[in-house]
Amino acid sequence: MGGLDGLLRRHRVVICAGSGGVGKTTTAASLALRGALTGRRTIVLTIDPAKRLANALGMTDVGSTVCAVKAAGLQPGMLSALMLDQKGAWDELVERHAPSAEIRARILSNHFYQHLSQSFAGSYEYMAIEQLCELHASGAYDLIVVDTPPTRHALDFLEAPQRIADFLDRGVVKWFIRPYFSAGWATLRFMNRTVGFLFRRLEEATGISALVEVSDFFTSMSGLFDAFEPRVHRVYELLRSRETCFVLVATPEEQVLTEAEYFCRRVRELEMPLRAVVFNRVHREMPVGRQAVAADEVMRLLVRLLGNEVAAAKLADNFSRYEMVGRGDGLRMEAFRRLLPKGVSVIEVPNFNSDIHSVAELQAMHPFLFAA
Amino acid sequence: MNPALEKLFQRRVLFVAGKGGVGKTTVACALAMIATQLGKRVLLTEVDGAGRAAYLLGIEPAAVGLPRSAGPSLSVMSIEGTAALAEYLQIILPVKRVLQAVFASRIYRYFVAAAPGLKELLTMGKIWHEAERVDEGSSNRLWDLVIVDAPPTGHSLQYLRMPYAAQQAFGSGLVGRESKRIVDLLVDPDMTAVNLVTTAEEMPVNETVEMYQQIHGELHMPLGVLFVNRMHHAAFEATKLNMLERRLARVHDARGRAVATEVLNRGREDLGWTEINLRYVERLAAEIAMPRIEIPFVFAEEFGLREVHGIAADIAAESVAASRRETMHGRT
Repeated sequence: MGGLDGLLRRHRVVICAGSGGVGKTTTAASLALRGALTGRRTIVLTIDPAKRLANALGMTDVGSTVCAVKAAGLQPGMLSALMLDQKGAWDELVERHAPSAEIRARILSNHFYQHLSQSFAGSYEYMAIEQLCELHASGAYDLIVVDTPPTRHALDFLEAPQRIADFLDRGVVKWFIRPYFSAGWATLRFMNRTVGFLFRRLEEATGISALVEVSDFFTSMSGLFDAFEPRVHRVYELLRSRETCFVLVATPEEQVLTEAEYFCRRVRELEMPLRAVVFNRVHREMPVGRQAVAADEVMRLLVRLLGNEVAAAKLADNFSRYEMVGRGDGLRMEAFRRLLPKGVSVIEVPNFNSDIHSVAELQAMHPFLFAA
Repeated sequence: MNPALEKLFQRRVLFVAGKGGVGKTTVACALAMIATQLGKRVLLTEVDGAGRAAYLLGIEPAAVGLPRSAGPSLSVMSIEGTAALAEYLQIILPVKRVLQAVFASRIYRYFVAAAPGLKELLTMGKIWHEAERVDEGSSNRLWDLVIVDAPPTGHSLQYLRMPYAAQQAFGSGLVGRESKRIVDLLVDPDMTAVNLVTTAEEMPVNETVEMYQQIHGELHMPLGVLFVNRMHHAAFEATKLNMLERRLARVHDARGRAVATEVLNRGREDLGWTEINLRYVERLAAEIAMPRIEIPFVFAEEFGLREVHGIAADIAAESVAASRRETMHGRT
C-alpha cells in the first residue's frame, strides 16, 4: 500500500470528516495539493466560516468564487480552492430556480428565508453537498477534496440532506401553502383549539409572526421544491458511489476518538465508503528492539555524550514525557484500529515541530500521508 | 491569588469561549474546581454540549436542562435552546397532555425553526434563570457562580449577539423586555465576564483575535481572562541539542544511536513548539488587551479528572506570573 496515493487515484471525490480542531482543513488541503502535484485538476472545497483554509493555503482571502492557488512547483490552474459562503449558496439556488424576478425578490426579502439560509441546522452542510454535486457534474475537475464543517458531530454533514428533505417535505409544504394559512392564526383554532391558542400566545409574547412568514416562504418557493427530492436522492447517490470516499481525520485523544468511533458506526449504517483514517499530531513510543527504553539507560547515554548531568537530565526528562504521551496515543490508536473494518487504511502523521500554514508546509505532510 | 482571577470569581456568570479543540471544556472545568475551592456553589453549564464536561469530571451526563452533582458544591448541566423553550412552555401551560401534543406537532417544529434566534435567546435566558435561581425553602440563591462552556467561536457569537438583536427587534413586547434584562446583565462588569481560551498557534490565534474584536469592539461585553492552553516550555537550549547531534557519531551500538536520535528529535519538537508558542503569545499580547494566564502542556498517558485538577492548580499558580507581567507593563 502506498499510503493514500491509491485512494486519490481511485476516487474523484474525497470527503474529509471529523470533529473540530483535529487538522481536517490542513489534511484536506494537503491531499488536494498532492492531487494537483500528480497532474490532476484538483479543487478543494471548504465551508469553514473561520477562513482557515485561506490561512492554510497562504491566501489572504477566499471568496465564494473559485480561486487558483499559486505555489512553487505547482502548474498554474492545477489547484483551485473554493470557500462556500452558505448564504450565497442559498441565494444562488433561489436565483437559479426562481421562475421570475418578482418571486426571487419576494423570497430573498422573506424573514424566514433569511433566517433559514443563515442558521437552520444543516443548511450549511446541505449547501456544501449541493456545491459538491455541481462541481462534480461540471466535469472541470479530476479530483474534488471536501473539507467538512467543524460540527461537533461530523455526521451532521451526512445527515443534513435528509434532514432538509424532511423539513421541506412536500406534504407539509402543501399544507403550509393553503390559502387560509397565510391569513394567519385564526383558522388554526379550528384544527386544534388549545394548540392554536398556545401558538397565538407565543406569537404575542415574542412578537414574531413566524408562521405567516413560513407560509409566505413556502408559497413563494413552492416551485423550487418539486425538484428537491430527486436532488437529495442524487446527493446520496454521489456520496455512496464508487467515485467517492470518506477520510476520517482524528487525533489520538480520548474525546476525539469517542466521536470518531460513533462516526465509523454511522457511516457503515449509511453505507457510505469510509476508506481511510488519518491520525494527526501523533506521538509514538520509540520502537527499540524488544526491550523498553529505561530511564537510567537514557541518562547514562546522555551524560556520556554531553558530559553534563544537568543538561542530560533535562533532555532525558523531556524524552520520557513524550514517551508517556506516545504510550497513551499508541494504546488509544490500537484500540480504535481494532474497531475498523478491513480495508480501511490507517495513516499516522506525527506532531510537527512547526505550525502548518503554507503550501510548503502542507507538503511536509506528504511523506506520511503517501509513504510507501 | 492573582487579582485578575480574584476579580473573575466575584462575577456571577463566566463564559468560556474559543475555537473548537483548544481546551474550552478543560478550562471551564478547572475554573469550576477553583471556584468550589473558594467556597462557591458552582453550576457548570454546557451549551449544545456533548457531555464532555461530565466526562472530564468523571460523571454520567445528565438529561438536558437538569443539574447533576459532580461534587459537594459543583453541578453540571447541559443547556439546549429547544429544551429551554419546552421548559418555558411548561411554566405557561402546565397540562402535560396538551404540551405533548404541542411538542409533537409539526407547526411547533416550524415555529422553533422560523422564529429567528429563538433557540439562542432561550439558551441565554436559561443561563440567567439559573444564575438568579433561588432555593424555594431558604430563598438563598442556588448557585454563587454559573460557568458556561460555550460552543465553538462562530456559534458562541450567535448566542452572545442574540439578546441585542432581540432587544432591537421587539422593543416593547415581552421578549423585548426580557432581552433588555439579559443585555443589561451581559454588559454589567460586576455580573459577567467573557473568557477566551486559545492555544498559541496560527489558526486558533487568528480566530481568537477576531472573536476578541467582536466581543470587545462590537458587543461591548466585559472581558475576563485570556487562557493560553498547551504552552510548551523547553527547559534546554538549542546549543545542547546541536551538541548532542554532533556527538551522535560517537555512539556505536545501534540501540544507543536510535535512543539518542529519538532524544534529539523530542528535544527539537519541544523546542520548536516552545518557539511557536512564544511567538504567538507575543501576538496575543499585542492584539488582545486582556490579562493572560498560560497553561502548560500536559504530558500524560491519559487525560482525565487528575489532569484537570492539575490544570486547576496550574491556573492558580501560573496566574502569579501573569500578574507580575502586568505590573511590569504598568510601570513602563
